[in-house]
Amino acid sequence: MSSLFNLLLRAPSLILILLLLLCVLLPTPVSSEHTSNWAVLVSTSRFWFNYRHLANVLSLYRTVKRLGIPDSQIILMLPDDMACNPRNAFPGTVYSNADRAVDLYGDNIEVDYRGYEVTVENFLRLLTDRLDEDVPRSKRLGSDAGSNVLVYMTGHGGDQFLKFQDAEEIGAWDLADAFGQMWEKKRYHELLFMIDTCQANTMYTHFYSPNIVATGSSALDQSSYSHHADNDIGVAVIDRWTYYVLEFLESQVTSTNSKLTLGDLFDSYDEAKIHSQPGVRWDLFPGGEQEGRLRTLVDFFGNVQNIEVENANASDPGSLKEDLLEIARLVEKWRVRDQEYLLATRNDTSDMADHLSEPAKVSYNAHKDTVQVTRMVKETPWEKRALGASALLACAAAWFAGSILGQPSA
Amino acid sequence: MPIGPPFTPDYRKGQLTAIRKLRKNPRVLFVRLPYILSLVCIVAGIAWLLLLPLDEYSRRTYISENALLPGQVHAYFSGSEQHVFRGYKQELEGLIPGEDQEKGVSKADAQFTSEVSNKVQSILSAAGLKVATQAYEYTSSGITHQGENTYAIIRAPRGDATEAIVLVAAWRTADDELNLNGVTLALTLARYFKRWSLWSKDIIFLFPPDSKTGTQAWIDAYHDMQPASVQPLPLKSGALQGGVAMEYPFDHRFESLHISYDGVNGQLPNLDLFNTAVSIASGQMGIGANLQEMWNHNDSYEMRLQTMLRGMVKQGFGYATGAHSSFMPYHIDAITLKTKGEGWQDEMALGRTVEGLCRSLNNLLEHLHQSFFFYLLMQTNRFVSIGTYLPSAMLIAGNFTIMAIALWMRTGFDMDTQSGPTAVSTSAPKEKTSSSSEARSSKEKESATPSPEPSGIMERQLALPLTLVGGLHLLGLVPLYVFNNLSYKVSPIPQVQQLNSMTFLSISNKQQHYTMATYICIAANAILPTLLAAVLSSLGFTTPKPQQYLLIKSFSLLLLGLFLSTLATLNFSLSFMIGLLCAPLTFVSRLNPQTTSVGLRYALSTIGLLVLNLLSPPVVLLGLCWYTGVSVEHVLTQAAFGWDVWGMWTQVVVWCVWWPAWISGCALLGFSLF
Repeated sequence: MSSLFNLLLRAPSLILILLLLLCVLLPTPVSSEHTSNWAVLVSTSRFWFNYRHLANVLSLYRTVKRLGIPDSQIILMLPDDMACNPRNAFPGTVYSNADRAVDLYGDNIEVDYRGYEVTVENFLRLLTDRLDEDVPRSKRLGSDAGSNVLVYMTGHGGDQFLKFQDAEEIGAWDLADAFGQMWEKKRYHELLFMIDTCQANTMYTHFYSPNIVATGSSALDQSSYSHHADNDIGVAVIDRWTYYVLEFLESQVTSTNSKLTLGDLFDSYDEAKIHSQPGVRWDLFPGGEQEGRLRTLVDFFGNVQNIEVENANASDPGSLKEDLLEIARLVEKWRVRDQEYLLATRNDTSDMADHLSEPAKVSYNAHKDTVQVTRMVKETPWEKRALGASALLACAAAWFAGSILGQPSA
Repeated sequence: MPIGPPFTPDYRKGQLTAIRKLRKNPRVLFVRLPYILSLVCIVAGIAWLLLLPLDEYSRRTYISENALLPGQVHAYFSGSEQHVFRGYKQELEGLIPGEDQEKGVSKADAQFTSEVSNKVQSILSAAGLKVATQAYEYTSSGITHQGENTYAIIRAPRGDATEAIVLVAAWRTADDELNLNGVTLALTLARYFKRWSLWSKDIIFLFPPDSKTGTQAWIDAYHDMQPASVQPLPLKSGALQGGVAMEYPFDHRFESLHISYDGVNGQLPNLDLFNTAVSIASGQMGIGANLQEMWNHNDSYEMRLQTMLRGMVKQGFGYATGAHSSFMPYHIDAITLKTKGEGWQDEMALGRTVEGLCRSLNNLLEHLHQSFFFYLLMQTNRFVSIGTYLPSAMLIAGNFTIMAIALWMRTGFDMDTQSGPTAVSTSAPKEKTSSSSEARSSKEKESATPSPEPSGIMERQLALPLTLVGGLHLLGLVPLYVFNNLSYKVSPIPQVQQLNSMTFLSISNKQQHYTMATYICIAANAILPTLLAAVLSSLGFTTPKPQQYLLIKSFSLLLLGLFLSTLATLNFSLSFMIGLLCAPLTFVSRLNPQTTSVGLRYALSTIGLLVLNLLSPPVVLLGLCWYTGVSVEHVLTQAAFGWDVWGMWTQVVVWCVWWPAWISGCALLGFSLF
């Protein structure tokens, strides 16, 4: 390290030194670094009597927006339009509480996938970014290796499947493979998976890619229940698990400065209230439960971006440190070449055969040649000036002679 | 000669001889076993039915269709709407002639006059509904039923006009009472519903003048299936998803709601609709619900059984039990809510129940299909489904088929060549035609004689049995035609009978064509089989051979078994009842003159004929009328009306399935006399 450092100190590039200084002088905490937050919020059921599933998703949509994730980074999938259903006693609104204090449909909502666009295929293509070029940005999950992704799903499910609309379902393996592919394609840094459906915990049993924390509303063979119904709308408006998760998020996580952690949220689960056994899966997370519990909620629900560009100590291919080392290596190589060239020109005894055997050096030398100043023409400037002056004198003499000779005789 | 390989090993030879012995002496297989099996089937079928009300065999009802969400909405029909109700009621009451003892006019007899119709129309128009009328006329048994339906449509403000719900308030209830409160309530609801914006389906308010003809005419015309005497509808909506009829035939407060659900021909509405009504009435509104006129149901076995049997009787007879019944043939689920008793529930409570039901139906995304269409209810929250009850009727129908197949096989074997080919009447219940002692004696005789016949195969002579059985079934069309087309003549000029036949019947029961026809039918039934037997026996070339007696019985029972098992899937109760009434036919056959002494033969067949005559269709009808206290005239007028207007098929089953089988059985006994 020190030799490299010394080497670089001697290097002429000031920028390089500055960059390296930046790396060395900022030894930040290891793994909570992410550069963007994305949320994928999916309701999978349509029809009026499933009003609560859309209300679930819209409630969460509202929460993540409140904590700063912009619409451009939220993918909202709603298979039905409850607000405009003729059965809706309050046209144009969706509420998730019988007090109807907050209209979730409001005037600022961006649904990215709606109606029959909400399919298993579209969902998997969205996650893995296997979409046509002409698919607009609003329908793409633009996450990268630095993105924390929140995936929330709700609908009607069973043992290791979740029904989409009325026609198809996504299996636990499909979902696990999609997340696996996302990891391979560097589409997330950390991922929080939440699901509220019957037998929800079976949906994350097959996950295998790292950095995932998963939580669900109910264990195998358990139903997920709705929380309460609105007697004027005439349907249940929210599910129990989502209701209590939201209650925690809304009452405790009041700003992006909140230091509450995933552990706090999961500890707030009360089976007596939820009426089913919520589950959490930590084992895919580096450091397991201990590390995972320390993640703050705003890491996933908020839009907290650390100022540092990248993780300085990471040694993965593509990380900044790796790049800098590579640049340093290149700089050293060029310096060595430069020195060799200098020696060669000074001695002037270098062999032509040597040059031919090293085409890189040839091109290098040729490049040097072109840089040298060369004389374009042979004549000297004085000759040209004399010629010009004599031409001017000749003209002046001709004009003078003409004016004397051509004077009218008067 | 036994057919087989020339060199048969000894042990195979032994087996073959055993089988051959059984084939040579198949008496056990063909003669005794079928009777035992048939008897077991009948007993098991009845026992099965009696088990159904037990907790282990019936189930609690539940809502299958997620979309219905019964009782989840708050019903706002109350308060000021009650003033509107009173206002409308006063307007309508002003048009009804008051009580006048001298003229014999009673308020309860008020008809749906054109003034009332105009008032109803003006109220509906004022509430902003589209109104239309439809005149119709039906003629049955020489009685003309005519009237005019009034109806109005609320277009769903935000829905597409592809679906609709019907609310029916007939001016006169199914029991022919004045339904003034029901009609007023419907008018109030129309005004109230019009102001909601949450309807996804159109709502149609139908005001027929009575519960028998009006809805039938309307629903036929709605589907363009009306006869020429019924006007087409000027105003229509989308596919009907459900119907609710309201009956409130008195002025005091009520205690509970009676839910009728039986449709024409025993068709039932989807169980979800009934469950929703029960759930909203008792669960949300706190109004008790009753069914099948069981007012004091204590959920005991006896009460459950009684409820179930009442439901089965209604289903079996297949007549319309209310304004809702006419909807069923078009696969539109409908029920009637009728107020009952004296309690503290007012018309607003009924209105809220109907509002809740409409909100539930409004939630539907597709036609009711999740729950059962074939069920027997034994309590408002207890039922058995078709899978559980069907074996009962199937076992009874199966007993005829078993006997028919056994007889067919038996006619192919020449079992006792020594004593001559003969049909042996065998054991039957003692009160039936042949006594078991007689059978035993004949059996002893058989066992005493060895059977050295060579081949054991007989040729069946089918012409006579087929002609006879086929002819008898065709002959059933005669009473069917006569009973459906008999004119209920009172005066030479067919009187235009405005609305109800019940009061009509009570006024003039002097000329009883139907009663007369019934007695004639009984007499004909008594004579016809014996006459048939006498004629066939006396004409030399038609005298049946002993084998043919068995074949007649076989074909007759085969058809009966086929018809009844098919019918069991469509109308379980009718199949079960006819199966029970026909059960003795399995056990009657011609008494063998060679094995039975003349005196015993005459005595037994006469007793048998008497017993069977007690179970003939017209005698059963008379017996039922006597038991229930309803006049035969009324029942048969209703039946003819059902045939002409509702498309009721019960008579066809009686005259073309039951009656031919009965005649065949009697004729077989009659042959013993000759």
